[in-house]
Amino acid sequence: MLQFISHYTDKYSYLDSIRLALQGGCRWIQLRMKDATDDEVRPVAIEAQKLCKQYGATFIIDDRVALVKELQADGVHLGKNDMPIAEARRLLGPDYIIGGTANTIWDVKAHYAAGADYIGCGPFRFTTTKQKLSPVLGLDGYRRIIIEMRAAHIDIPIVAIGGITKDDIPAILATGITGIALSGTVLRAANPIDEMKHLTNIVNHE
Amino acid sequence: MPSEECNMKVRINNKQHETQAKTVSELAAQLQLPAKGVAIAIDNELKPRTTWDDTILQEGATITIIKAACGG
Repeated sequence: MLQFISHYTDKYSYLDSIRLALQGGCRWIQLRMKDATDDEVRPVAIEAQKLCKQYGATFIIDDRVALVKELQADGVHLGKNDMPIAEARRLLGPDYIIGGTANTIWDVKAHYAAGADYIGCGPFRFTTTKQKLSPVLGLDGYRRIIIEMRAAHIDIPIVAIGGITKDDIPAILATGITGIALSGTVLRAANPIDEMKHLTNIVNHE
Repeated sequence: MPSEECNMKVRINNKQHETQAKTVSELAAQLQLPAKGVAIAIDNELKPRTTWDDTILQEGATITIIKAACGG
């Protein structure tokens, strides 16, 4: 599974990035506009949601639980400094996907206990996209977390995130990780749609 | 004949399951997944809900369901 996290460059807006990802075959979109207000995010989210419906893609929004409920998006992704997962679950009820960022097996266990539907786990390597950095995990970090998740019978999907390039994908999926989240790498390609097609092909055939 | 004969083995979120469901829709119904807030991937490929009726499950498929506490 491939999750695309919206991003912008000089050339492409947040919405452009989502459109390109969908055209490239990605069917899981996270709208992330970290430093914007809900009022700034709302019009973008409405358009992004329309696009996702058109493609049958799952649409989640980073951090903004109230906006997710208001727009009836498919779900929310919660970072470490966002609303606690248990509180989001209480506000949203069972019919929304809730994802949580984890850096360690303890985070994974806490998120699972709090009712998370999936884990975003990273960073795989050093990344410039996020300013607040946790220690990088690498392949060994993922292997250890997967082993401990299985031992604890935690069976929710776990998506790798943070500085991942296409050459990393086969080795990451081989650790037992179930999905890959990508952001910057797609827009930096000369042809982002072709790049996304290539990436979905790699993930879907591992 | 025992009914297990028409059961198919699949992996759901890393656990072996046997199911009589023939399509993703039937599997979702069998697992009592909610009408929204669920995403399903077959062999890593996310399947839009609109395709669930037509997506036939294959023996040995690896299925990932994004919904906590599903497929128990």
